[in-house]
Amino acid sequence: MNKSLLLKTLANPLSKAGFVIIVGVFLLAMLAPIIAPYDPDDINVKAILLTPSFEHWMGTDGLGRDVLSRMLYGGRISLLVGLVAVGISTAIGIILGAIAGYYRGWVDTVIMRLVDVMLSIPSFFLILAVIAFLTPSIINVMIVIGLTSWMGVTRLVRAEFLSLNSREFVQASRTLGAKDARLIFMHLLPNSLTPIIVSSVLGIAGAVLMESGLSFLGLGVQAPQASWGNILTDGKDYIQFAWWLSLFPGLAILITVLGYNLLGEGLRDALDPRSSNAK
Amino acid sequence: MKNFAFLNNKLLKRNAKVSSTFLLLFLLSSCGKPAQDATKSLLENLNKTYPSQSGGTFIDATIGEPSGLIYMVAGESAAGAISSNIFNKLLKYDKNLDLEGELAENWKISADQKTITFKLKPNLKWADGKPLTSADVLWTWQAVIDEKTGSPYASDYQLVKKAETPDALTFSVTYEQAYAPALDSWSGLQILPKHLLVNQDLHTSAFTRKPVGSSYYQLDRWTHGENIKLSRNPRSVLGQAKIDNLVTRIIPDSSAQFLELMADNIDSMGLDPIKYARIIPARPELQQKLALYKELGSGYTYMGFNLKHQPFDDVRVRHAINYAIDKQEIIDGVYLGLGIDIASPYKPGTRWSNPNLKPYPYDPAKAKALLKAAGFVDSNNDGILERDGKPFSFEILTNQNKEREKSAVLIQHRLKDVGIQVNIRAIEWASFISRFIKTGDFEVVVLGWGLGLDPDQYNIWHSSQQAPGQFNFIGYNNPTIDKLLEQGRLELNPDKRMKIYHEFAQTLLEDSPIVYLSAGYGLTAIHKRVKGIDAPAPPAGVGWNSYDWYIPEPLRRNEIAAK
Repeated sequence: MNKSLLLKTLANPLSKAGFVIIVGVFLLAMLAPIIAPYDPDDINVKAILLTPSFEHWMGTDGLGRDVLSRMLYGGRISLLVGLVAVGISTAIGIILGAIAGYYRGWVDTVIMRLVDVMLSIPSFFLILAVIAFLTPSIINVMIVIGLTSWMGVTRLVRAEFLSLNSREFVQASRTLGAKDARLIFMHLLPNSLTPIIVSSVLGIAGAVLMESGLSFLGLGVQAPQASWGNILTDGKDYIQFAWWLSLFPGLAILITVLGYNLLGEGLRDALDPRSSNAK
Repeated sequence: MKNFAFLNNKLLKRNAKVSSTFLLLFLLSSCGKPAQDATKSLLENLNKTYPSQSGGTFIDATIGEPSGLIYMVAGESAAGAISSNIFNKLLKYDKNLDLEGELAENWKISADQKTITFKLKPNLKWADGKPLTSADVLWTWQAVIDEKTGSPYASDYQLVKKAETPDALTFSVTYEQAYAPALDSWSGLQILPKHLLVNQDLHTSAFTRKPVGSSYYQLDRWTHGENIKLSRNPRSVLGQAKIDNLVTRIIPDSSAQFLELMADNIDSMGLDPIKYARIIPARPELQQKLALYKELGSGYTYMGFNLKHQPFDDVRVRHAINYAIDKQEIIDGVYLGLGIDIASPYKPGTRWSNPNLKPYPYDPAKAKALLKAAGFVDSNNDGILERDGKPFSFEILTNQNKEREKSAVLIQHRLKDVGIQVNIRAIEWASFISRFIKTGDFEVVVLGWGLGLDPDQYNIWHSSQQAPGQFNFIGYNNPTIDKLLEQGRLELNPDKRMKIYHEFAQTLLEDSPIVYLSAGYGLTAIHKRVKGIDAPAPPAGVGWNSYDWYIPEPLRRNEIAAK
């Protein structure tokens, strides 16, 4: 299934582009220690805010650090945060959605009202409020983003479970005496994977953006560690003068988020027979 | 061009239904050729000389909107910058930082040095026409020491044992003991009108947003979240200011302020070193219209140890860290050379600063030797020193201030070289103070102290000032320092007083409870349309004679736009 899924996805040129972008960004981040021309934390007060040149492809920042090297290392943080945060939110979403969708009744009501409550709070401000009480660090950022963005997955999984529950193959299995665990893990969950994968990939894009936003506000990754968001903050004050400090991290965020979105859309089209190439 | 843009803003607000096409057309037309010519001729006129004349509007900006305009209650610099144009004090500092009378015509100190008698100038009037008398001064003093007011400045005035007003022009205060900073404290208290405030809560009174004062300006209009406009007070007790209106726009982001400065929409702002030394010099069009002023700032940046924590209670460790930090690197890298190193907590070049003291030089070898003597050795070869099996690592807390954050990164870098692991955390100001400083829950901070003109620093260094919310939050406790600070407050002879504070600074440097990082320059840009500014700035700073600044008519903005 997986192989054909990938092929089907890549048949679409846009999702192919998304896939290439994501793989490229991952490779660059992984290989940062090898390809980065300088130590990302190497300060040089004699080379402050240099324009891009052959020595420093993306110029230097306010402390004379090489922006290219910081971008590469910062990419690792952004991608890591995206993956882990979405991992957490997806796990929570699947568990709660499965419980709500399978057992129905008051459990369902409680979980769904909780979802409504969480959704009624603007998530960025919720995250800001929580981070303000904790120590800002990568780990906290990942956990907090994960804990505040599971609602979409929960609704998706619940809806899938509800519709699958009344399908013949599930009814048949139940009539044959299958236990809850077997029904959930063998029948319902595998058949709900499609929307989960799509929403996760799209969720990563959101998480990358969220991390950049938090770091931009000084609540995410802390100095001297680089992240795209905090390089962008450094650039903000000098935007009319040191354009390279704003342009490159901005582009990196844009391209990565675009990549995940293209890939996510492609996956959805490939997986969903209803939304095929008709539109 | 800029005037039309202003007009557009106004139109937009007044008539929300104006169609976007119409606005777009209007905007386009405002960028046309005549506007460019106007800009060009303004630039040509900027460098001509003009006779002093009154009128015009001066616009500057503030990052934070003041909570109210009674400075002794608000206690914020944003409030002080505006209220100092509205209210007067008994005394003030002149351009050379000598005290002179403002509301007071003269003052006398009694033979036992415990009583000061101020004689007010005759015929003083509030902006509403009511007379300003010693009763107002007495009432202001009573209000500031009242616990219900909760003024952060109360402690200076609580030392007054007795205050009297023998007649409408005389106000006298008697202290328990001679108190050397007394005169300085009376140059800081803005006198409030009793007749408008009596029996009111100073925190909630409508007066805080609609103040009536006696100085050069009065409040004209306060548009919440937008601007505060002052207009000239025709009854000003100090004579008439030249400029008609002062507008302070509320722009909560310094990058946005700088854009407004470049677009001619504000006339003045404080600059950071990068804007001063890199951005403006690289842009000839900005150099043409902006005059830059550099003066020794009235503050310094330091790294302070929590002395109640190990190992910072060990003076060898404090010395080692002092030697391990390259202050010149911070001055070059963070302040782009626009700062100087200091060795005493006083403004360099003033009489209180001890010229014989030298900062700790950068000497990592000595730092390592001292750390070894204090018992720190790298026993597991990981590059980090250990003592009793515990690695030497700590966290530097600072507020979200670019210069301080960068300084912390440089310190982190240098301390790693001698085997100390440092983490950095930058926290928003309000929670930084309430959660960490007031509770003493920190290891090391990078912060700044502002420098007053009086050398008394009792509330920063005296061991009695360690309660939550007080200024000796690093927990400094040194009997020698305590004694010198107590002597300094009682000594009124300037020469003897100078000796005391020189000894105080030397003891402080040797004990090293903080590491002095740098005293940065105060950097200001003012549009060249503003004339009458003293350059180079006198000791009192570039703004000391702002009442005498003027904007010649050909250089003024269209008045309709400046509201």
